[in-house]
Amino acid sequence: MMPIWTKSGKKHAVTLLKVQDCHVLRYISKEESGGKTSKLLVGGKNASPFSKSESAMEIFKEAGVPRKQKVTTFNVTDDAIIKPGTPLYAAHFRPGQVVDVTAKTIGKGFQGVMKRWGFKGQPASHGQTKTHRRPGAISTNKAAKVYRGKKMPGKMGNIYRTSFGLKVWRINTKHDIIYVNGSVPGHTNCLVKVKDSKLPTYKDCNKNPPFPTYFADGDKTLPEDLYDDEIFQFTDPSVTYA
Amino acid sequence: RISSDGKAAKFQPPPKPVIIDKQKQREERRFLSPEFIPPRGRTDPLKFFLERKDMIQRRKVFNIPEFYVGHILAVTTADPYANEKANRFVGICIQRGGKGLGATFVLRNVIEDQGVEICYELYSPRIQAIEVLRLEKRLDDNLLYLRDALPEYSTFDVNMKPVTHLDYEEIPVNKLQVRMKPKPWSKRWERPKYNIKGIKFELPENKMKAAEKWRQPWLEFDMLREYDTSKIEEKIWKEVSEELKK
Repeated sequence: MMPIWTKSGKKHAVTLLKVQDCHVLRYISKEESGGKTSKLLVGGKNASPFSKSESAMEIFKEAGVPRKQKVTTFNVTDDAIIKPGTPLYAAHFRPGQVVDVTAKTIGKGFQGVMKRWGFKGQPASHGQTKTHRRPGAISTNKAAKVYRGKKMPGKMGNIYRTSFGLKVWRINTKHDIIYVNGSVPGHTNCLVKVKDSKLPTYKDCNKNPPFPTYFADGDKTLPEDLYDDEIFQFTDPSVTYA
Repeated sequence: RISSDGKAAKFQPPPKPVIIDKQKQREERRFLSPEFIPPRGRTDPLKFFLERKDMIQRRKVFNIPEFYVGHILAVTTADPYANEKANRFVGICIQRGGKGLGATFVLRNVIEDQGVEICYELYSPRIQAIEVLRLEKRLDDNLLYLRDALPEYSTFDVNMKPVTHLDYEEIPVNKLQVRMKPKPWSKRWERPKYNIKGIKFELPENKMKAAEKWRQPWLEFDMLREYDTSKIEEKIWKEVSEELKK
């Protein structure tokens, strides 16, 4: 995570996400998947092909792509279908866009009720016998049962969570890095899924994005760094309030 | 003239004087700002590389002078609520923290009997100028104990004139022993974990002996705590100096 300054002098914290060897693996049509839209399987980071069975490797062989560590699905409209085997780059996103980021949270293991659900526990002294971090009562007398979903100790973390509405400040096309506002679930160097935001307030945020995606072999070569309009670039002189 | 063995001595011209250029002989002092050194962790080195690029880019446009803890600096920042839209603060640098673009330094001064400490970010675009008024290192790495010292040690004239310092001279170390206010202090500075050499402790002997109980002599032999930065520093120094010369 890094600090970033705007032209008015305000500081924001930014997370760096690297797009590492992403390829489109397979196209699943609407009828095949049984959903409302067609799907595209996309694979992430390269991994060794030797620890998976032959049947699992079929998808990668068809697309002509080395084995990927993570495979995710994206719901796609019919006009945005991409041929399997095309690489995806960070330039698919543009600065000023708003994005949702999904990842598995840091696993904390088996945790008690105070850390997992934020219960208050009991006082440390004044006669408490062996009860300082326990949940206390779990139901009423009339209910005569414990409701399903009762907050109790258990395994915490290591589940998929999404941060919504994160603005993209800057894109580095040379190293394929997206600078996303705020924090993102997951530990450092974990695998992360980045989608266009589903929030209704940011519906009209993407003006002329590269559609269906940014193809590297096209005629246009982008500059190495793409900045949002409000970012203070370090090539400019210091900020002054006139 | 006749030499000792009778023959006429051939004229020997005097030996040429050897000119030793003392300025060139003095090696350039290599100073790498501490925020360039990446902390120990499992982050991708690419992140530090990109951060360093941004830092070098900022340094090309805006000059960040070499300074240590104990120097007296004057910092002018842009302030939308000030009269001239610029704010100038003079103070002694107490500590330098943070790595990468978020590196900070804290300046302390006593203005009209009120101690003031301001934490500035080195790479913030609001900073207009950083001038070093007096160069002197102190005996410690951070001078947070000045908060509990007598206020005369933290007062510096706001209109101080900068003291000239030649590039190649070594930075002088001020071996000042500071006198403290009566206890209680904000931290127990006599304890060995702070390892402070710049305080003149006027505590009784038994208190100093009692503080030695908290000494942890095994810490310096702990191999897991070792972080040898010499090779990393060399590489980064080369990279940074090459980029800055361009």
